[in-house]
Amino acid sequence: MSTVLHAHPDSGPALGVATTGRPRRALSDAGMRGRWWRFTAILAITAIVLVPIMVTVILALTPAPNSTATGLTFENISNVFSQTLAAIWLQNSLITTLATVVVSVAVAAPAGYVLSRGRSKAVSGYSLLLFVMQSLPIITSVVPLFILFANMGLVDNLMGLTIIYVGSTMTVATWMMAAYFDSIPISLEEAAWIDGCSVFGSFTKVVLRNSLPGVLSTAIFAFLLAWNDYLVAIVFLRSNEIFTLPMGVQSFFQQNQTDWSGVMALAVIMMLPPIIVFATLNKYFSVGGIGGSLAGR
Amino acid sequence: MSTTTTQSGLARARRGLAPGGPGGGSLNRKDQSPKNLNRKSKLSAQATRTFFWLLIPSVILLVLIHGYPLVYAGVQATHDGNLLETGNFVGLENFATVLSSPAFWKAAQFTLWFTIVGVFGSWAVGLGLALLLRTKIPAGGMFKVLLLLPWVVPIVVSSTAWNWLVATPDSLIPSIFRSLGLGTPLFLADPALAQVTVMVFKVWVSFPFMMMMTSAALASVDTTVYEAASMDGATRFQQFSQITLPLIARSTYISWILMTIFCVNDFPTIYLLTGGGPVNATTSLVVLAYRTVFQDFATGPGVAIAFLMTITLVVISVILYRQIRKSSVE
Repeated sequence: MSTVLHAHPDSGPALGVATTGRPRRALSDAGMRGRWWRFTAILAITAIVLVPIMVTVILALTPAPNSTATGLTFENISNVFSQTLAAIWLQNSLITTLATVVVSVAVAAPAGYVLSRGRSKAVSGYSLLLFVMQSLPIITSVVPLFILFANMGLVDNLMGLTIIYVGSTMTVATWMMAAYFDSIPISLEEAAWIDGCSVFGSFTKVVLRNSLPGVLSTAIFAFLLAWNDYLVAIVFLRSNEIFTLPMGVQSFFQQNQTDWSGVMALAVIMMLPPIIVFATLNKYFSVGGIGGSLAGR
Repeated sequence: MSTTTTQSGLARARRGLAPGGPGGGSLNRKDQSPKNLNRKSKLSAQATRTFFWLLIPSVILLVLIHGYPLVYAGVQATHDGNLLETGNFVGLENFATVLSSPAFWKAAQFTLWFTIVGVFGSWAVGLGLALLLRTKIPAGGMFKVLLLLPWVVPIVVSSTAWNWLVATPDSLIPSIFRSLGLGTPLFLADPALAQVTVMVFKVWVSFPFMMMMTSAALASVDTTVYEAASMDGATRFQQFSQITLPLIARSTYISWILMTIFCVNDFPTIYLLTGGGPVNATTSLVVLAYRTVFQDFATGPGVAIAFLMTITLVVISVILYRQIRKSSVE
């Protein structure tokens, strides 16, 4: 904005003198100062905000108190893999999360299409139902599900965990998909119908094929929920070798003396996947994030 | 063929030609209507069938993971017994037990404060940062991603880090306080301080979400409005309070209600940092419900607490839904 003002023909002669008329040059200076003031403020705030994350990384990479290593080391990370079940926990988390992402998208995309294109009372009723369910405390359903799953042998079982994760992501995921499908013009589909395409065909060939950003943002949402969950895991997982990473990290605190080097090493392993996902796919999420999709409808 | 006509019709409408325009528009429509209708009805029968099959998996999951548990929770809330046996029907006794227990009201009160601070604290920080990041600054995009990290990093990880920073008198932050001559605050051992710490932690976790929401809303504000306003001599603050805030009001309102739902439902943020202590100072309703069921094995009262939360949240989310519907009609 300041550059635009500066480029204005009027601003030529009155350089720096901010006494009479419109002080355009002064404004431009203020603009530059404002930019640097903002940069410094953001830098300081970001540094403070990231302290807990930096602490985690630093502790994970510095030698443990009883170690002979010096400087930065990957010793803690290799120790946590050799001395705990970290590899199995990581594998459990990856399997559960991946399955949740795939099934969530597979369920939410078709349902979202109906929510987006359907114009009947039943469809809008279902939309409201999904919305209400999304806001319910998961603790309400966890207790009955615990009993149901105990009878079905799904407690302490990764499949049981995945089913609950899919159940809790599908509500918002459906809304996110619907919001994305809303942005795909119906005229594209109409053209396909004229060419003899079925409704299902136009959904898969026209709508879904053009929905990569929407699918990705839904997938990221499901990924974050499944990867980060603690409440369902603490209720449904009992034995060490079925733990997902959150339970694994927490298991360090049950000892009298917390092994900070070990727990931070595992914590770093646990936070890497979401950070990688965000660093690479951030632009898709910011476009169609949960908030955005709810606000956009 | 018909799409082309529709498009040209739309283009006409945009150019202001269609309503009462010279013949073309209305003639076209007359031409198309019988064919159009025919195709539509055939298509809509097929669409209804397809829609049905596309919805089936979603409906099954909704019934299994949400519907059935909700009904069964209703059964549990009105029966005594434990996790293994449902017990006898006791009517609303569990609700009476819960509503007459001081622990419930203490937890409700803490949940209220936790929610108020969580919503408005994260909103204030998120809005401030979104405003700072709106104008072009060096490396602005990088900051935007870095500032999302508290929200992206798993709560288990960040609570571990916060624990390391504040838990014991020898932790980093109490040590800094001590070296500044401010005493040694026991962030997680003193009830009042623990409440503050949990709320600050929640704001730290949630502000990126608010920042994303606000940034998206700010991006859709037409900047020419500000140029006009500054021509008219509006101050920065006037521009903010009289242009920015009203223009992002709808998004703000939605983000408040969403964050309210997130805060009321929040379990790990509190449980992982303090476990609900010290002396129950940070026990929220979810934590209380979890402990009542899985530590005291009192299923009925625990589910009753969850039900009372559920009712509150249904009211909130129906209000939110109405608001969204209303605004999408506008």
